[in-house]
Amino acid sequence: MKLLKSIVRPNKVDDVKDALAKLNIAGMTVTEVRGHGKQKGHTAIYRGKEYNVSLLPKMEIEVVVPDTIADEAIKAIVQAARTGEIGDGRVFVIPVQESYRIRTGEMEK
Amino acid sequence: MPMMIVPESSAVRLTARRRSDAGARLRPPASAPSYDCPRESPNVPFMSVSQPDSTGSALRASLDAARVELRAAIARGAGGRGTLERYADRVDGLIRQVFTDAGPYDGPVAVIALGGYGRRHLCLHSDIDLLLLFGNGIGPDEERFVHRFLNPLWDLGVVVGHQVRDIEDFQRLETDNPEFLLALLDARPVAGARSVFERFGAVFHQADTHAFILRSLLALIEERHAKFNDTLYQLEPDVKDAPGALRDLTATRTIALLTDPLLLRRGPADAARFDDAEDFLLEVRSTLHLECGRNQNVLSHELQERTAEMLGFPGAEPGQRVEKLMSDYFRHARIVSRSLEWARRTAPVPVGPNMGLSRDGVRFIDPVQAARNPASWPATFQAALDAGTEVSEEALSCIQQHVDRYRADDFFVDAKDRAALLRFLKPRPGLYARLSQMHDCGLLGRVFPEFQAISWRVVRDFYHKYTVDEHTLLTIRNLERLTTTDAPHRVRFRSLIGDLQAPELLVLALLFHDVGKWRDDDHALESVRMAEQVLERLQVTGESREVVLFLIRHHLRMSLAAFRRDTEDPEIVKQFAALVGTEERLKLLCLMTVVDIEAVSPDTLTPWKAELLWRLYVDTYNHLTQRYGDELIERNEAGLTELQANRPDDVSATEVTKFLEGLPQRYLHVFPRDTIYRHIRLARDIKPDEVHLSLEQKGATWALAVATLDKPFLFSNICGVLSSFGMNILRGHAFTNPNGLVLDAFEFTDEERFFELNRDAQDQVLHVMQDVVSGRADVTARLRGREQSILQARSSLRFPPVVHTDNKASGRYTILDIVTGNALGLLYRISRVISQHGCDVDLVLIATEGEKAIDVFHITKAGSKLTEAEQIALTSGLQRTLEGTV
Repeated sequence: MKLLKSIVRPNKVDDVKDALAKLNIAGMTVTEVRGHGKQKGHTAIYRGKEYNVSLLPKMEIEVVVPDTIADEAIKAIVQAARTGEIGDGRVFVIPVQESYRIRTGEMEK
Repeated sequence: MPMMIVPESSAVRLTARRRSDAGARLRPPASAPSYDCPRESPNVPFMSVSQPDSTGSALRASLDAARVELRAAIARGAGGRGTLERYADRVDGLIRQVFTDAGPYDGPVAVIALGGYGRRHLCLHSDIDLLLLFGNGIGPDEERFVHRFLNPLWDLGVVVGHQVRDIEDFQRLETDNPEFLLALLDARPVAGARSVFERFGAVFHQADTHAFILRSLLALIEERHAKFNDTLYQLEPDVKDAPGALRDLTATRTIALLTDPLLLRRGPADAARFDDAEDFLLEVRSTLHLECGRNQNVLSHELQERTAEMLGFPGAEPGQRVEKLMSDYFRHARIVSRSLEWARRTAPVPVGPNMGLSRDGVRFIDPVQAARNPASWPATFQAALDAGTEVSEEALSCIQQHVDRYRADDFFVDAKDRAALLRFLKPRPGLYARLSQMHDCGLLGRVFPEFQAISWRVVRDFYHKYTVDEHTLLTIRNLERLTTTDAPHRVRFRSLIGDLQAPELLVLALLFHDVGKWRDDDHALESVRMAEQVLERLQVTGESREVVLFLIRHHLRMSLAAFRRDTEDPEIVKQFAALVGTEERLKLLCLMTVVDIEAVSPDTLTPWKAELLWRLYVDTYNHLTQRYGDELIERNEAGLTELQANRPDDVSATEVTKFLEGLPQRYLHVFPRDTIYRHIRLARDIKPDEVHLSLEQKGATWALAVATLDKPFLFSNICGVLSSFGMNILRGHAFTNPNGLVLDAFEFTDEERFFELNRDAQDQVLHVMQDVVSGRADVTARLRGREQSILQARSSLRFPPVVHTDNKASGRYTILDIVTGNALGLLYRISRVISQHGCDVDLVLIATEGEKAIDVFHITKAGSKLTEAEQIALTSGLQRTLEGTV
């Protein structure tokens, strides 16, 4: 199993969600996050005064997928979240050793 | 001084004030006895030094007879209420006789008894306090009448405390004369026209006046008690002024009269005991007057023995009689004192007509009357809001019990009621709580049946946590909390509230933004439809109406743009800016979005969401203020077509096109259609050096439009002229169209009331402006005196000025942002510096928020943006000017 941790533009969450749904990936966790990558934010000016916007609002989407469809899922995320501009985000892929369903205690590998 | 009186109810001399100064000339004849001399001894009949005429001797005889009777009664120990009332009645007869003898006088006049005499408790040596009230102004005829009336009284040696007024004088409360106002509460007509007295009553008895008198009375009581060390147990008590004595007794009744007539029924002493105390105190006072032959009210050791004897206290020894007298005195004084304390503690403070503030909140004084007058109910909630308290349970039950009998219109009888409601909706701490009370007792739903539609309405969307009505009220609570918040993610939104011109419109919009949810369809449209009904009933029209409907229609648009669209995309910002059109609407919609999201559930507005909203706000604000110079009106513009279609007969199609083409589109957003046509007329046939003006009063502010042809220093000259007349510029726009036509529109306050005080003010401003614009006069000289005025001196800058230039925001202009403390002539000084640097001012946005001025200039130099070096030079020039170092 792989944990796909994607940082995307806030307005792209719905697109990503739809794309993953098409692959029958239903469970996901979405978190409001702030951060920056290479795109280090910028300074905005309000009424002549600068204020710092170095941490940009992003959404983090976490899904766990079987190894077999990991590549397909990553591709779907990238395609859905891409605008071609700086600040489109990243997908991190992390191996998952095992997982337990809390309700039943079932283990999956 | 004959125009000074010392009324019964006062230890302070009252100065009579009248419209004419004629009163100062009203003096008794030189032969009249001086009031400062002791005039009578108890056993010598009164003798006048003046020569009485035949009428005089008849009057003298009747006065003497009245006094002989009074003295005899006092000597019998019966100088109490009944006796004094009889004496007052006989004095009334005397006054009426003097009044008849003083005729003929044609106008309406009344002689009114005040204070103790008004209450018919006229003691032997008390002053006779009179009000001569005229109903039709005071002129020489009235003066002559006053003389003819007062002279015989003076000749009789009666000590008259008189006031002369015209009824109109009571339109304004004599706040510097609380004793007089108190004495007026006892007003009783004695002679003259009853109608004048009745007119006086209608003018004088107002809720505000009563509230003021009550406050003054409480202060006077405290002051007077302090003189007696706040104790009633005086060995030599003053039976008039001491705590527990006559003045306290009257004060207790007055407090009840002013607050709740039934108050004393619930008090510590029943009416009979209270009357006994009064009778006793008056008997003692009468005895003192008889014994001393003057207005002497201190029951001194020497006088106690004689008083005890006269009042028939039993005892073999004088000492025993005195002891009985004094224990009776203290018993009565204690009853008075306790009643007064109780009244002071429990009396509701009057906060409006038939409304009092008690410990449990604002209540109706007379619930029966309140039940019949639904238009007075909303005022109860306003009063509670003002007092930082709630509406009492009692008043809420009264409303709840009767509310179903009335329709929405019954709550707004006239424009005053409608204006009061809008005032009530200004966001401030306590508004949510009062609206909730209003809702709970059923009033809100009756006043606004549209709101009733969402009462307890449940919409299952797995998102909202509360019923629709509570969600709605919570948005208002969030807004009210925002006005005082210090929370880091909220505080920047708080600053927007202070900027709003009419924050009550936002509350109105919030109140109805979700009423359409009574149906399951698109609720925003249905809410708009329902809100239109409300606005029509409230007679909210014009721009205010449009703003409310705009906010309701688009209340979801900002969250949609901020959370679901890529706000990094300038096109998205541009579209959103086009939707809102002006900074004011942007701020309103932004605040609406924040408080609406926050009212969904406590956790919905995360700092993350707040950040996204703020960024969209800033980007849109910058777009609106800095980029509008690039978005010009084009020939087939929708707004232009509409203006053509509706144009009045005297405006031609070519005129409209010629005027508007090339102006920024913003112009169409900012001005309503009628104003635009006015501008077009203003710009008609304009020649170089000519200035056309139009001026219009809008509530507390004035709107001035100036049309002229562009030339160097134009903007600074125009601002300078306005400042030189003392005008404080609040908001404004300066536009230049490609034909070189300049249109400046200012909104300003006329701090020195120049327009109000000068009939030809507009011409004066026009002439000066033409002279200055054409170079015939120098505005600097006109302004110098004003700028140096002590009134303009500022000890220090409240905050450092911000000057910022930007070459990226606009395609055509260098944008100059200035935020600084507002001051007279500020725009003049700023724009002068800009012109001195060789720059052209093409567009200007002026805004003021409290003491802060926010100005955005679109400037060019020789037709292009400024170079970096030019920007630096200009910025530092402006900084020096703003910091006052040049």
